[in-house]
Amino acid sequence: MNKSATQSGRTKAGGITIIRYRGVVKRYGDFQALSGIDLDVHAGEVVCLIGPSGSGKSTLLRCTNGLESIEGGDIEFEGTALPRDERELRAVRTRMGMVFQSFELFPHLTALANVAEGPRTVLRKHAAEANRRASAMLAKVGLADKAPNYPSALSGGQQQRVAIARALAMEPDVMLFDEPTSALDPETIGEVLNVMKQLADEGMTMVVVTHEMTFARRVGDWIAVFDAGRIVEQGPPEQIFDAPTTERTRDFLSHLGWTG
Amino acid sequence: MTFDWSVVWQHRDALMAATGTTILLTFATMAIAVPCGIMVAALRLYAWKPVRALATSYVELFRNLPLILVVYWAFYVLPIMTGLGLSPLATGLAALVLNVTAYNAETFRAGINSIRRGQVEAAMALGMSRLQALRRVVLPQALRRILPVLASTWVSLFKDTSLVSVIAVTELAYVAMQIRAQTFRVLEMLTAMAAIYWLLGYPQAKLVDWMQRRFAVTE
Repeated sequence: MNKSATQSGRTKAGGITIIRYRGVVKRYGDFQALSGIDLDVHAGEVVCLIGPSGSGKSTLLRCTNGLESIEGGDIEFEGTALPRDERELRAVRTRMGMVFQSFELFPHLTALANVAEGPRTVLRKHAAEANRRASAMLAKVGLADKAPNYPSALSGGQQQRVAIARALAMEPDVMLFDEPTSALDPETIGEVLNVMKQLADEGMTMVVVTHEMTFARRVGDWIAVFDAGRIVEQGPPEQIFDAPTTERTRDFLSHLGWTG
Repeated sequence: MTFDWSVVWQHRDALMAATGTTILLTFATMAIAVPCGIMVAALRLYAWKPVRALATSYVELFRNLPLILVVYWAFYVLPIMTGLGLSPLATGLAALVLNVTAYNAETFRAGINSIRRGQVEAAMALGMSRLQALRRVVLPQALRRILPVLASTWVSLFKDTSLVSVIAVTELAYVAMQIRAQTFRVLEMLTAMAAIYWLLGYPQAKLVDWMQRRFAVTE
């Protein structure tokens, strides 16, 4: 494919490439979840992966930090192929924050301890330093007052913000969001999206699997539309949402009732 | 028929010491069988296949043998196998540990399996190793869930320590039987023995009930 054509309208394409997917293939038995994904994520970019359920968006995200292995193609992170060795892979994971649909906070730890856990156990920071960093991150997501609370005493939106703080405490180079608002009550979706918007404004590189089209349209720099394990179209939000070039994108957006 | 309860009072020192041994056996068995149980559970879950099979065989063997048989077996076979002349107490302890470890392994395995996969993934996404994820995330949660089961095992164990009396470990059951044989005060000694087991066991059972309420899983 002509490179300049695929990159037109990409405002942050000048930044260094943080993640590069080339011909990524993932199979579960006979089922081909990803059939040759090509995608670049540049520094400071917010790349949104959209598309119907089961189209491979989350799978690609989980392959990015090696939670799932790939059967073909390459994933490069900051210029180096994703290592197969467990120890090296762990080092890479410390530089990628991940936020899950179901939060996955540790229920036996307070909000503060949840956020301090990574710095403490993985980065081997002293308790005081880890807690200081955790407090700062909780403040950043607007939850400084919830530090002593256990996850069960927090609303879904608050739990997801703690989960974002937990990922940020590792000071990652990129944040991976796997449908971060899909499990939330409608009234708490906004507070999570606001935190994500704030992160984007600060220049954080983000890959976001989402069904929130308004967020993708406003915050996304680059949109990739998935269908049946392929990217059927990628481009700047204006193109995808206002003038989609493929039938499949138009279908998907009209099913969601997207009117621009 | 006349009762002579003074025989219990006369032998109070021996009974007290024997009760101490019973309690010691219970504590010592659990202190060894909990870490061993975690280890066997971890082997069954994560180890290389042949090792996994070995751990499974161990659990299935000792869970399905009568404890009294294991006690006799340890008494007669262990010295031949190891060449060590273990004291009755150490032999009894070994038998109890073999039995309770098998139960604890199953309890821990169930507890670990009950923690959903996403928790491990969240830990690994932070850069933790599998072992770190197990230690920092899975086990603390699993332990909370299985605490009531472990406590029930504890109460059973407390009573089952009486089985090592068959190899002359001087715990409560053995000593009470000895006094009975010397004094022919059968009913008095059996009653005294029952009273001591019950008075010590009942609060433990109540504690288990309380734990079951206190640590009910809320998520």
